[in-house]
Amino acid sequence: MQWSYVLKFTGLLLWCISLFMIGSLITSLILKDGGSKALSLSTLISFFTGSILFFPFRKESPRVIGHREGVAIVTLGWFGATLMGSLPFFLGGVLPSFTDAFFESMSGFTTTGASVLVDIESVPKSILLWRSTTHWLGGMGIIVLSLAILPFLGVGGMQLYKAEVPSPVPDKLKPRIRDTAMALWKIYLLFTILEVALLTASDMTFLDALCHTFGTLATGGFSTKNASIGHYQSLYVEIIVMLFMLIAGINFSLHYQFVRGRMGTFIRDSECKLFLLTVLIFIILCTLSLWKSSYSSFGEAFRYASFQVISIITTTGYATADYELWPGLPQAILLFSMFIGASAGSTGGGIKFIRLMILLRHAYKELERIIHPHVVTQVKLGGKVIPQDVISSMWGFFVLYLGIFVVASWLVAASGVDMITAFSSVAATLGNIGPGFGSVGPAENYASLPEVAKWVLSFCMLLGRLEIYTVIVLLMPEFWKK
Amino acid sequence: MRFVIVGAGEVGFHIAQKLSSENKDVTLIDKNAEALRRITEHLDVQAIEGSGCDPHILKEAGLGEAETFLAVTDSDETNLIACFFANLIAPNVKKLARIRNEAYTHFQPGLLERHLKIDKIINPDRELVATIERFIMLPDAEDVSEFADGRIQLIGFRLSEGSEVTGMSLAEIRQRHEGLRFVVGAIFRNETLIVPKGDNRIEAGDFIYVVCERKLVKQILRLFGCYSDMPRNILIIGGGKIGLLTAKLLETRDLHIRILEKDRKRCDHLSELLNRTLVIHGDGTDQQILEEENISRMELVLTLTGDEETNILCSLLAKRLGAQRIITRISKFSYMPIVYAIGLTHVVNPRLSAINSILHYIRRGKILSAVTLRGEEAEVLEVEAMKDSDLVGRPLRDLKFPRGALVLAVIRAKEIIIPTGETAIHPSDRVIILAERKAIPRLENQLSVRVRSF
Repeated sequence: MQWSYVLKFTGLLLWCISLFMIGSLITSLILKDGGSKALSLSTLISFFTGSILFFPFRKESPRVIGHREGVAIVTLGWFGATLMGSLPFFLGGVLPSFTDAFFESMSGFTTTGASVLVDIESVPKSILLWRSTTHWLGGMGIIVLSLAILPFLGVGGMQLYKAEVPSPVPDKLKPRIRDTAMALWKIYLLFTILEVALLTASDMTFLDALCHTFGTLATGGFSTKNASIGHYQSLYVEIIVMLFMLIAGINFSLHYQFVRGRMGTFIRDSECKLFLLTVLIFIILCTLSLWKSSYSSFGEAFRYASFQVISIITTTGYATADYELWPGLPQAILLFSMFIGASAGSTGGGIKFIRLMILLRHAYKELERIIHPHVVTQVKLGGKVIPQDVISSMWGFFVLYLGIFVVASWLVAASGVDMITAFSSVAATLGNIGPGFGSVGPAENYASLPEVAKWVLSFCMLLGRLEIYTVIVLLMPEFWKK
Repeated sequence: MRFVIVGAGEVGFHIAQKLSSENKDVTLIDKNAEALRRITEHLDVQAIEGSGCDPHILKEAGLGEAETFLAVTDSDETNLIACFFANLIAPNVKKLARIRNEAYTHFQPGLLERHLKIDKIINPDRELVATIERFIMLPDAEDVSEFADGRIQLIGFRLSEGSEVTGMSLAEIRQRHEGLRFVVGAIFRNETLIVPKGDNRIEAGDFIYVVCERKLVKQILRLFGCYSDMPRNILIIGGGKIGLLTAKLLETRDLHIRILEKDRKRCDHLSELLNRTLVIHGDGTDQQILEEENISRMELVLTLTGDEETNILCSLLAKRLGAQRIITRISKFSYMPIVYAIGLTHVVNPRLSAINSILHYIRRGKILSAVTLRGEEAEVLEVEAMKDSDLVGRPLRDLKFPRGALVLAVIRAKEIIIPTGETAIHPSDRVIILAERKAIPRLENQLSVRVRSF
């Protein structure tokens, strides 16, 4: 392991973070909302910490970045970014407890959207902007961002990319990793501009539009209002947010191809097709179940059902209705959606459609083998054969995901939380969704949980965002052996 | 009329045999001296030893004076290069090439035709698969060919005991089923051809050829007690090129297909390319595997491996284990009579398919297509009647038709006429004629088709 390079890169990453903090700092200076002291202090601290890590090793260039270095850089980088990201909340007195500040920051970077802020609207606007900025940075990935903007990172970039975007079948859009990262961020930026423009066209202020856009495209879920998107009571806003949540839940390499003029790429991709179809079916089921029970008119049932289904399955976590008051079936569907998550290569979390598709097909093939012992079959997706080692790694992921879910739920429950809250809070953080059920439902938040539970859940968020392997491999003794 | 053929394998041999028996000049080129010796012993053709890719040899073979050039070796590359040089030496010669690799033909439609000026590409595998498909559509017919762009079909089948027409004379059948327009074109009894007349009776065990419109096929087969539904459960033994092509074709229909292949690597490859077919790893001669795959419930078993002995064994085994229908792929002509003798009724032969489509093509001119029946005793020809032909203008009963020839159908624009004695042929009608081999040269004279054919 080349520690020097790992530290140098982490330092660089902290510089990037401080650079983006300046944006919030300027906002606070313009608005004079009282956030400027905390933000300027945080910017300076991140810059100096970054420098301390960078300067001793500035001449260091990697002989080779192996898988180990990649994993270490990504995990350490995310941890460092979260730490720096928590400073504005902590120093600004918004969240006087460090645990809460760290939880909020982790929830931001991992695009979870689980909040411990009780009265959001009383917090300085600039700090809320920073809160949403962490979403935006974490959505496409801070490592991918640094790959795009740091010019000298040619070698070993693929290792970093794979560690942060561990999609089961990684696709490189361009021959060079830097261009790939750049292409992804450009598309991300394009959607951001579009959504901000569309949201400002309603009666939302520019700052609120920006914050909500960050929350939507990163499939995060932080809002600047206590009642989330429900605050606006506007069909227009809901439709725009729904549309962009769906976009964010689709593989960005498909968007890239679409922008390049290949129409119909969404229809041809089997994962995307299944994703859209599932969303549709879930919406219909929820609507039928809500109609006449929770809402008297069909239109209303459809409106709230579709927003909530899209919000949960894309792992965003915005709310327009309190789904805890809904009947059993829609609740069950939403809980199930928390596990499925969005598509691979999107900004969403969860197990991901592609994994479930491949695992289900593999399971079916195993059944076939019982009937025809000598059958030779291969799991195919979109006409392409999925290699056996990819399938094994998916089973591993699946088992780890469920295993972590169980262990973390026990830990949270052991800290004195009721069972429904314990299970749903772990599902909602591991899948990077945000709101769960029970005392972490859409009308409440995570503030009331004990400290231990908050640390466990923070860890779950990081595990979920980096898709388990990258983080958990650091805990293996084997990893640290020479 | 000079033909230059590169490749003295079975395809080359049979084409040469046919052409020379029709008094045409044939020059054969092959590297294999032994094969050439065998041919010159049997046939009246010129043989040149050497590579068909060698332009000197092509010149020596008199390509400049030839009308048609055929490259029919087993190697696609040899055939392509031979055509390339043939095009340089004699650009006006008609060229036919036997090409099996689809990568060559599917890269761009018409690529070889345009750049190498090949007039006709023959892919025996494709032809074979097409034959298999026709079998599957009409499982009781043992031989199906098409005329008039598929509007008319020639169907061969064996008459069983139970049918209502067994023992009747052709005139009686016609009387009883006046609405149904068809003609019995040929009867094979104990493997000899009878050119049918009205007073011929058909007996159980006869092999009969019937000509009719495509849409009437089912009805007519029902009349002869020979119609059953398309098979749904199909087992293909042998996942080679032809097995794969067949499976791919059948996948487009709603059928349950299994394919048995003994090479594990090939199995992986097959399972990659096929989507709905079950690929099973195992030997087709292994009784246990066949039983495991429930062979007794299979409505159709196709033995399509590259090895004909294996195919024969697998077919016999499948038959013994209770498979309902079996199609066997055989390439060697000498096996054909034996195969019928041991009770394998459905046989497909890629070389025969290739020969048929080559003959089909070189008879162009005014003969539009030709099909060989049961080995090679007879042919069914589709011709265009010319103004100056003896055929035109008189009722059929007055025609001096050679012995062993029979008019089966007349196609006038969109109309299909099943002829009687009174029918007269008009100029530019298309006529389907059955002819015994020995009658063909005389028939050609009478049709005056030779004049302009080449």
